[in-house]
Amino acid sequence: MTRRGLPVFLWTVIVGSLLAHNLYLWVSGGIHPDTDILALLPAERRDPALEQASVKMVDAAEQRLIALIGAPDWAEARRAADAYREVLGRHGDLFQLTDQAGERLESGFLALFGRYRQVLLTAADEAELHNRPAQFWIDRALAKLSSPFSGPQLGAWQDDPFGLFRSWAQARAQETPVRPRDGRLFVSDARRAYVVIPINLRAPAFSIGGQQLALPILERARQAAQSAVPQADVLEAGVVLHAAFAGAQAQRELSIIGIGSLSGIVLLMGLAFRSIKPIGLILLSIAVGCLGALSVSSLVFEKIHLITLVFGASLIGVAQDYGIYFLCQRLSANSEIDSWQLLRRVLPALILALVTTVIGYTGLALTPFPGLRQMAVFSVTGLIFGWLAVALWFPTVARERAGKPLPLAERCAAASMRWPLICRDRATYSALAALAIFAAIGWSRLSAQDDIRSLHNPPKKLLDDQIKISELLDLPTPAQFFLLRGATPEILLEREETLKTRLDPLVERKLLTGYHAISNWVPSAQRQTSRHRLVEKALLSDDGALAVLAQQIGEDRHWVAALGARFLAPAEPLTVDKFLKAPASEPWRHLWLGKSADGYASVVALSGVGKAGLTALSQAADGLQAVQWVDKVGEISSVLGKYRYAMSWVLLLSYLAVFGLLYPRYGFAGWRALGPTALASIATLAILGIMGKGIELFHVLALMLLLGIGVDYGIFFQEQSGAEDGAAWLAVGLSALSTLLSFGLLALSKTPALQAFGLTMALGIITVCLIVPFFRKQ
Amino acid sequence: MKRLMRSCVWIIAVLALLGAVPTAKIQSMIAKPTVLCGRFDQTKQLVGLKKPVRSRGRFCVLAEKGVLWRSEWPFANTIKLTRDEIVQLQGERVAMRLEAKKEPTVRMINSVLFALLAGDLDQLEKLFEIDGDVNHQSWHVTLKPRTAALERAIGAITLDGAEYVKNIAINESSGDRTSIVFSAIQTGEGAMTVDEAALF
Repeated sequence: MTRRGLPVFLWTVIVGSLLAHNLYLWVSGGIHPDTDILALLPAERRDPALEQASVKMVDAAEQRLIALIGAPDWAEARRAADAYREVLGRHGDLFQLTDQAGERLESGFLALFGRYRQVLLTAADEAELHNRPAQFWIDRALAKLSSPFSGPQLGAWQDDPFGLFRSWAQARAQETPVRPRDGRLFVSDARRAYVVIPINLRAPAFSIGGQQLALPILERARQAAQSAVPQADVLEAGVVLHAAFAGAQAQRELSIIGIGSLSGIVLLMGLAFRSIKPIGLILLSIAVGCLGALSVSSLVFEKIHLITLVFGASLIGVAQDYGIYFLCQRLSANSEIDSWQLLRRVLPALILALVTTVIGYTGLALTPFPGLRQMAVFSVTGLIFGWLAVALWFPTVARERAGKPLPLAERCAAASMRWPLICRDRATYSALAALAIFAAIGWSRLSAQDDIRSLHNPPKKLLDDQIKISELLDLPTPAQFFLLRGATPEILLEREETLKTRLDPLVERKLLTGYHAISNWVPSAQRQTSRHRLVEKALLSDDGALAVLAQQIGEDRHWVAALGARFLAPAEPLTVDKFLKAPASEPWRHLWLGKSADGYASVVALSGVGKAGLTALSQAADGLQAVQWVDKVGEISSVLGKYRYAMSWVLLLSYLAVFGLLYPRYGFAGWRALGPTALASIATLAILGIMGKGIELFHVLALMLLLGIGVDYGIFFQEQSGAEDGAAWLAVGLSALSTLLSFGLLALSKTPALQAFGLTMALGIITVCLIVPFFRKQ
Repeated sequence: MKRLMRSCVWIIAVLALLGAVPTAKIQSMIAKPTVLCGRFDQTKQLVGLKKPVRSRGRFCVLAEKGVLWRSEWPFANTIKLTRDEIVQLQGERVAMRLEAKKEPTVRMINSVLFALLAGDLDQLEKLFEIDGDVNHQSWHVTLKPRTAALERAIGAITLDGAEYVKNIAINESSGDRTSIVFSAIQTGEGAMTVDEAALF
């Protein structure tokens, strides 16, 4: 085997195994792209309790789906809901309908809490017990006696003469507006009554297969409900709906970008080379790049995200650059030159081009967003494999010059003679001045935007349904909550109670509608003892409220003594353990994170939080020990902002690094390779400013990639000398057009992040192409 | 044998007809004024109390609006039930307010109470099994909750009346018993006093 033969042979073996691995992946179902909408969100910092809290708050909801079937009349709502359930019920393997849970919970309620009624008080009643005179309590007991319909009964009157336990139970019941009614769950607003149907999805929410099975059935259920009751209103919310939407959208975009770029490139190559062979070679390098990217990514990552593939599809437009460059050189080079000699000549340029582009993609890998890192790994490996295919195969395959010199290349060369060069003349200065003015105008309109919605932008109907359901059910937000820690459950409950005294005024100011905490149900032992004493002192003293009340209703001392004794009968304290074991705790168990290595942790969840409340809430825990305010939305926005800022600096430093890379080969003339991209970036930002776009992290990341790709064009131009200029023109033109096509198609993406990326790249590539000939070597 | 079977079916059918509750008949006997006010005398027999607890006062039922229940003796206390809330007033002070937005059963309680006081059997039939009879100008029905939840919340109820409901008796599952007698029924615009009207 020759000296060259060995690497080529090895390379062929590697590609063969890539092919085999890919085949294996497809056959074994190893590639089932993930549609997790949160994949773009930053990975959790290393804090086990926080991680667990987020998982319980968010991921517990992953498999859950909630449907509300409403109609002006309860009977109609029930009929529509029954039709809906009937359809889902036929698919028990996919949907699990939780039945009549409410009814069971209600009956278990008294059995558990009735035993601890003397220590279960609302905060308001506790305050009144401290402040109000005996007469207040006598009046309250008498009022309760005179009212004919006292509502749901929690035992006989004498078990709760002052209505303390009753108001506590009422407050607990009001933590959710959902009520059992006729064997269904009921909620209503002023105009409609709704049946609430909680559904557990049995197929994984993020698997495309599961979504494709579940969604049509949900659609049929909706239709069944609406044909049973035409005016029925069906609201649905669930992670699976978002995931299915995001998945379908990504698949659509993947095929648009993939097929669009490929056919565009075939067409371009056909026009330029007028021969089949170059087209085949370019497609081969792209294919090897994609195979390599898929193989390596599937080995490095557990799952490949669909959005990675969408972004990866734009690789098609970048990976062919090296092939095109080599082929253009081959076709314009003297036919006496051997292809391997040619490779040796163009190798430095090819290496520089690869390294700079890899630097461009590395920007993505520096962010804490798992999705972006995956995109970086996918793209970089794709590029490297595509590049290796060019370097190792093309010289062997494209051995001699094919046909006559390219007419297009000659025309390009002719055009290049007319394109002015930048030098110290009036034209250059005035052009730069014009650019400066344009940039100043555009930049002055730039504003920063770090909105989480750039990562996930669901359709309006999904969002509207979700908002309506959250309002109707008064659901706590999964994105904002307090995380508390303590060495023992008792300390934790006490900390919750302290926090709650700070939240109560905020509830009164209507900054939130309420909070959910385990201590709402289980007071701390300390609080249980103090309440016991409080009730005894305020109501049961010798001439206290109970004694006076007895006189007024004609009962004697014995009655007072008996009631008092029952009231004060020693009971063991209510504990978190007892509560968690009872069925009544089912809706609240996720709030208790339990024991971990560094003690216990729990969550205080908030409902009805408006924008106005966020600042006050973020400060509510100030100064409290081991209480942490968690705001996922704010955190993501701040991470986006922080990285936008940091990546801007990385971008500037990358320019220096690239200049350093170019220096050994071009010396100070390296600015000619770098200049076009720098000017194009400035101009692109100005155009974005004039378009009124807010600058996001993704714009900055795109500029980073623009540096990687734009510099390639600069390098290709610096490698030329006079007569062969045409090849560079053609190579840059073809590369740019295909890159433009790929990223232009990416700009049509409905995912705002990808759209921002695609738009910036497309604008940048056009500008680089227009500017780069000015900077060619004299 | 076949004949015997057939006659059995006939007998059952006839019996069913005889046993059918004459709700339509009762409904036709009951007046449906837009405003109905009157006096009530309530007696509560509570578990653990030797003596019954009595109270009396005025009440109003307003079609489409709600119910007002004002005890005057031995203790002044007003309860106002509307579609959107239940408010309890002791004098001027709001002692309790339950909003339908937070407590959806408010609307249910309101509609049950309204139906009870107005004698709207069609409405009550949705929630209770109704059994009863008509005797000349008066009628008597017993209401048995259709669901266990309602059984726990309200218990069994009996109603007596003629043109209006005269008595209500409630037997709660805890053993507490309430009996209410209505009198001095007035209808029409003048039925409400000025300060009662001011509450709506």
